[in-house]
Amino acid sequence: MSAIPPPFRSLVGLVGGMALWTSFVGTAVLAVAAEPLRVGMELSYPPFEMTDPQGRPAGVSVRLAEALGKHLGRPVVIENIAFDGLIPALKSRGVDCVISSMTATPERAKSIAFSEPYLKTGLALLIAKASPVQAAGDLDATGRIVAVKQGTTGQQWAAASLKKATVLVLDTEASAVLEVLQGRADVFIYDSMSVYTNHVRHPHRTRAVLTPFREESWAVGLRQGDDDLRRQVNEFLEAFRADGGFERLGDEFLAEQKAYFKAHSIPFYF
Amino acid sequence: MPRWLAYLIVLAVLTSAAAAAFASLDMNWNWSIVWEYREAFWRGWWTTLALSLAALVASSLIGIVAALMLRSPIRLVQAAARVYVELIRGTPLLVQLLIGWYVVAAALRIGTDHRYVVGVLVLSLFSGAYMAEIFRGGLDAIPKTQLDSSRAIGLTPWQTLRLVVLPQAVRIVLPSVAGQFVSLVKDSSLLSVISIAEFTFNARNVNSATYSTLESYLPLAAGYLAVTLPLAALSRWLERRFRYEAA
Amino acid sequence: MKLAIHGLVQRFVDPRGSRESATVLDDLELVTGDIQALVLVGPSGGGKSTLLRILAGLDVPVAGSVAFDGVPLPRDEGALRDYRRTVGTVFQAYNLFPHLTALQNLLLPLVHVHGLTEPEARERVREPLERFGLTPHVHKRPAELSGGQKQRIAILRALVVRPRRLFLDEPTSALDPEMTGEVLEMIAELKTLGTQFVLVTHEMGCARRVADEIAFIADGRVAVHGTATEFLDQTTDARVRAFLQRTLHA
Repeated sequence: MSAIPPPFRSLVGLVGGMALWTSFVGTAVLAVAAEPLRVGMELSYPPFEMTDPQGRPAGVSVRLAEALGKHLGRPVVIENIAFDGLIPALKSRGVDCVISSMTATPERAKSIAFSEPYLKTGLALLIAKASPVQAAGDLDATGRIVAVKQGTTGQQWAAASLKKATVLVLDTEASAVLEVLQGRADVFIYDSMSVYTNHVRHPHRTRAVLTPFREESWAVGLRQGDDDLRRQVNEFLEAFRADGGFERLGDEFLAEQKAYFKAHSIPFYF
Repeated sequence: MPRWLAYLIVLAVLTSAAAAAFASLDMNWNWSIVWEYREAFWRGWWTTLALSLAALVASSLIGIVAALMLRSPIRLVQAAARVYVELIRGTPLLVQLLIGWYVVAAALRIGTDHRYVVGVLVLSLFSGAYMAEIFRGGLDAIPKTQLDSSRAIGLTPWQTLRLVVLPQAVRIVLPSVAGQFVSLVKDSSLLSVISIAEFTFNARNVNSATYSTLESYLPLAAGYLAVTLPLAALSRWLERRFRYEAA
Repeated sequence: MKLAIHGLVQRFVDPRGSRESATVLDDLELVTGDIQALVLVGPSGGGKSTLLRILAGLDVPVAGSVAFDGVPLPRDEGALRDYRRTVGTVFQAYNLFPHLTALQNLLLPLVHVHGLTEPEARERVREPLERFGLTPHVHKRPAELSGGQKQRIAILRALVVRPRRLFLDEPTSALDPEMTGEVLEMIAELKTLGTQFVLVTHEMGCARRVADEIAFIADGRVAVHGTATEFLDQTTDARVRAFLQRTLHA
């Protein structure tokens, strides 16, 4: 205080005192309130993870996260993270759980833990109109170009199963779809719902094989060893389903897909 | 204190700080994947090197031509060069890559076989705009009096450019050009967005495939340093070799 | 050389484009006898350097004629470049190219303009370098040379192409007194060697020593012109006397 000229000392004292008092009270308040649940997801996957016109998180997974938060009595914070960064974020404690339409695979299970699955889906094909590809079996041939998105199960399947075809790995779904539309790729391997949506948007330049050639189920990602949270999440999922929560989400966000898939005997999600 | 000792101390402090930070993260690291996937790293590194080298050469040529155009007395020529430089310098490389590949190349019906060529071209045009400004500055720095001297001894304009202007301009711009080269090597990592399998792309693939968190990013940084540090050292050596005070 | 200038006019347009031009040479007339050395003197801004640049073939006048020994100077750039190759010019400063050594500066015009091979060029410059005591400095860059050395190398560079005549524009004005001396010595040597030249200078001592004729240029015209003795000792022109007063006692 001796370095500060007299007129300012009282000001510094006042401000300093206020800051100290506020942090005291603030800490006390925070200790009483519940710790927020940080949920990681990539908000570029409508209608599950997306943003509303005002830029706020929206979609099926966001609703699910909010319902989970309510069940746990904790406020929910959505962290928008690129898909292939979700597991690293979980492991480094940047988020507490991942609800991002993530498939529970044995490989991923080596790194993180999963809840019980909450949705059944599978890998499907978005095919360029001019391509000779008819089914997944046609893919592994020389000269075939298969687009996948970085970090997805589509990429894993391609890396494991395709020896002769060229695999194009793209950062975003949009780029991968463009490659197919512009005839630079034969096929984009992605989940059946997105393949459906993209085919509907570009009916004349694409074909779709929606029956999954590999079935997958989505689950909530959790840290290994975080057993308490895992138990709580499983309890929540069971209660939510019993309560018809998933039915309501399906009707709200996926009505069109539901109808189409039913009409074509393609297994639907929930 | 001898210079090598000073560097050693700084690096030792840095490394221990980093190690402490990593240890506190408690992330059960899996360093074996770095060795397991060494071939992917190796291939990616060479691809980055090759792409950067190609773009280095191309962007230097583009830069010299654009610099001469910027100084041209013909209005149309100067305007074209100015528009090119401002457009390219004013937009991010990422945007240029996406537009270049998904709009321009697609409109020209350029197929996936030419992906790498288009990537290098976009990168070269990007870097070329910065080179143009660097070279222009170098050319402008040659005092007009030297042009007088050249005329007085009877050199043609072409001889003046070749024997008097360019040799001096090159020495003046050398530090900036070397800096631009280093930027180019780092910028080449963006080519991954159009699925060009360079170094960063391969490292990210290894990351996803192995669910490792950040283990592949350290070799990635080391790999880039292996290219950029020698470049910087070479440039400092060249500067020293050609240094003189302007008369 | 016999120099004949008639009705010479030169204007410079304001580079900022205000459309106003300054008339620097205003209907200048000058006819000399058959002399070796002509010296141009006069106040700053009077037009001497402008005149010299025209005589050296670097600028084209707006109007008027210039002829050396009856041969008029060309007006188009191509022919002018050929003319420039037959003469030598030395400026006040910044003659040499900074990225080349003194020797490389000397060889450049010989090899690239006059078609000599490098060995031939080296042979040609060897003796003049010796004569003027510049051999120890040949491998230095201009940055390592003194002002006087640089100017002497510049004069040599003009000399070794075996020009018909030399043009020197205030070659010592940028030098301190000590180095001025060595350059003036060289110019005196040129006179002894029989080299024809036109010199613009403030150094009246040098003028007295080397000039055959002296012309006083002021306000874009030749105010006074005569032989060296006439000019320096016998002139009655008030302006010239005032000028000589100032320069001789500076």
